[in-house]
Amino acid sequence: MKVSFNELQGIGRKAFAAIGFAEGDAIDASEMVAWLEAHGLGGAEALKKGLRYIVTEDQSTSPTLVYQDADFSVLDAHNHSILGNASLAVELGYARARSRGLSITKIRRCHNRILIIGYLSRLARRGMNVTAFWRNAHDPLTEVVVGFKAGHPVPEICFYSLDDAPDDTERNDGITLIMANHVDLLPSLRSDYALTNLMWQTEEDLERLKDRALVEGMEVDDELWRSLKSLAEQLLVEATDASRGGAGAGTNDND
Amino acid sequence: MATPSHVTEQLHLRPSDQVMKLERLGSLHASRLSFCRSLVRQMAREDWTVNTDRFDLDADGHGVVIYRLNTPNHTYHGVVFSQHLDPARRSDRVIAEAWDVTFALVEGEVEASLLDQMAANVPLQEAGRQHPRLLVLSRANKSLRNFSHFVEALASGRQPDPAWLTRVGYLYRTTAVYGNGKFGIADYARLQKNPDFNRPFSAQMFAVYLLRHFSVQQVEHLAQMHSPERAVTLAPALQRYLGIGNSTGLGMAPFLINHPQLIQQWVYGRERALAYAREQLPDDAGRRELLALLKRAHQHFSETVTEDAEQSLRNEATVASIKAVMEWLERTPATSRLWTDLLAWADEQCALEAQELINTLLIELYPDIIDAMENELGCEEILELQPEMRAATLKSQIERRFSWALDYDPKNPDHHYWFWYRSAEKEEPRLGVRAAEPGAEKEMLLAIGPRIYRTHQLLDAFLDRCPAGSVVEFLMAHPRQKETVRRIQTMAATPYGEIQANLWHRDMKPMHLLRTKLSFFGASRFDPKSDRWVRVTLFQGAPLFCELFSDHGANKARLAELDDWSFPVQPELESQ
Repeated sequence: MKVSFNELQGIGRKAFAAIGFAEGDAIDASEMVAWLEAHGLGGAEALKKGLRYIVTEDQSTSPTLVYQDADFSVLDAHNHSILGNASLAVELGYARARSRGLSITKIRRCHNRILIIGYLSRLARRGMNVTAFWRNAHDPLTEVVVGFKAGHPVPEICFYSLDDAPDDTERNDGITLIMANHVDLLPSLRSDYALTNLMWQTEEDLERLKDRALVEGMEVDDELWRSLKSLAEQLLVEATDASRGGAGAGTNDND
Repeated sequence: MATPSHVTEQLHLRPSDQVMKLERLGSLHASRLSFCRSLVRQMAREDWTVNTDRFDLDADGHGVVIYRLNTPNHTYHGVVFSQHLDPARRSDRVIAEAWDVTFALVEGEVEASLLDQMAANVPLQEAGRQHPRLLVLSRANKSLRNFSHFVEALASGRQPDPAWLTRVGYLYRTTAVYGNGKFGIADYARLQKNPDFNRPFSAQMFAVYLLRHFSVQQVEHLAQMHSPERAVTLAPALQRYLGIGNSTGLGMAPFLINHPQLIQQWVYGRERALAYAREQLPDDAGRRELLALLKRAHQHFSETVTEDAEQSLRNEATVASIKAVMEWLERTPATSRLWTDLLAWADEQCALEAQELINTLLIELYPDIIDAMENELGCEEILELQPEMRAATLKSQIERRFSWALDYDPKNPDHHYWFWYRSAEKEEPRLGVRAAEPGAEKEMLLAIGPRIYRTHQLLDAFLDRCPAGSVVEFLMAHPRQKETVRRIQTMAATPYGEIQANLWHRDMKPMHLLRTKLSFFGASRFDPKSDRWVRVTLFQGAPLFCELFSDHGANKARLAELDDWSFPVQPELESQ
């Protein structure tokens, strides 16, 4: 079905709140999904894949700080979706970069990593250069590089696969974030390995996709929509005679 | 982003602890910066034209009407579906499922396929799936008594009694006017680059204004159907005096709380206008103009009818205050301190509604410097975290800028008496008594004061452990505080975004929240029907479509004349 950006964001916010997300996390998660979908990057599909796991996660478990020094942090997300309170791990990297000029943040054991792009957009708008890097699969090995210039609300994104993966690669379910206060960190494809470019999206491409989504609406899977609606309804309170009294106009207004 | 405090320092703005008190916000009136007024000025300045493309109403007034709007920038269409409604189903509540008319504002053309899609969905409102080219979706119910009286009078060759419109100032009242992506319609983001409707709620206000036009055409059509030989058209003075009603309940409250940056812009715009006005050098012409405005407002409030005892008392107090202000102005010469002295005198002598009325009327005197602000009432809304801030700084920010929130006392049951929630009945927002009604565990988080209080408590304990800790470190320890913290950090930079009231408090009056928003829309004739819902009138007194031309803004005198429609009074018809 076709939905608007505001609808997807609104239903997502309620659904995440019903799952147990804190209010700020529910807002951020729904923004991440709607942002990705509006920019043609499959936010709704990513959510559909992750939703059955997200509903079982313990939302009171925050990413744990494994290691930190002045500009380098490693956090364990406990195999949870990035949609939960992983935004604080990102904010930690932001705070470090603000004070040290550059920071590196590694979030280990996390899922739905692509959805983090929507949150990184917030940091870029605050004037931070951000590059995110993660590997999607081991065979074939796929890498994703997302680069935001400070002040730009949309990134350049590159998905590519390595035809000839090095022997020492390991399955990777983490994400690495590099943030710099004053220097551009755009992705560069220079590499000794043979690459197959799967997707290259420029800022202009993404802006165009967003404009189109605002004009035409966004196509969202019916089953996902029903699931979100059903979750959102858990926040509604059953009506009683007491609740109806004085809630609004009369049930009959033939004046 | 909302305008930060440091930009405002040059002007003598009223302090936020005066302006943002809920009772004062609930005493505001429509002003020349209200959205209805701005829209009418824009339509007149830009010579917007409306034509009837299709008028297919049967002898009962049921069918389809399509209007075409041309602005200097685009073409739009207003599509109205009018149907028979069983009186048993006529309800102003959001839980209603059928209405006398349903309508939509469409960007661009209405092709046959789109009209079919709309005919199948617009009458269903929330239960339909709406097309993304719809900018506004709305519905309205008749005021049956007014409607019958108007049709009968016109059909018998005479004009309706204007007193009917003084009691109830409309033929139709809307019960919801949806924009911003609701039920599949266009997102507000799409309008942000559109100079016709990029101001807050301007597309919605236009749809309401178009319904007013339809209501006149429909009663004239029905009169003609009833009595082709004798029927007359509605006198222009009555057409002008006809507004559109609106029934509003608690649904307005979540918007006010969830859009603090927008509220900041609205209140800041109004306060800046007031500050500009009071700094102007008064002269005798200005004094006389203010007296004339007060005289009209006096008649308006003397005529205003409401069954609500409290609002009646407030109206009576306003009428008495206006009389006293007029006497004060008559005997006070136009010295350079006239406006300052007047406002100081009013603050001491007048009721809140009258104080705010005087402010509203003073703003009317200086359109050239004030109207430019109408383009500054919108903003990009995003609450941003500053994770690098010291937690101690955040705590002192709360103590300096949000001290009102620290008045919350968790041990006092009156301080958390109410809770806000959404009902399973069409998600209607409601208010429940925490100790007596079920559902508090699902409450909407609208009470910002107690939340800030909680954050402050947690910060206090955190700083005992980590005196040099940062905000992000505080949040790693208390992740559920993220939304409150970024709200505090964002709104601390602005004076007027937060309503300074505990929305859980037993003494909190939700009617004040409703009136706050409605006054910025441009509503008049506040007629509370309980402590939780109100009927108001929009566009009463506004010029008609056929009057809206000013040679593209070149004819300043005509523009000023068209814009002078605040606080309308009952017209005297020539035949009476």
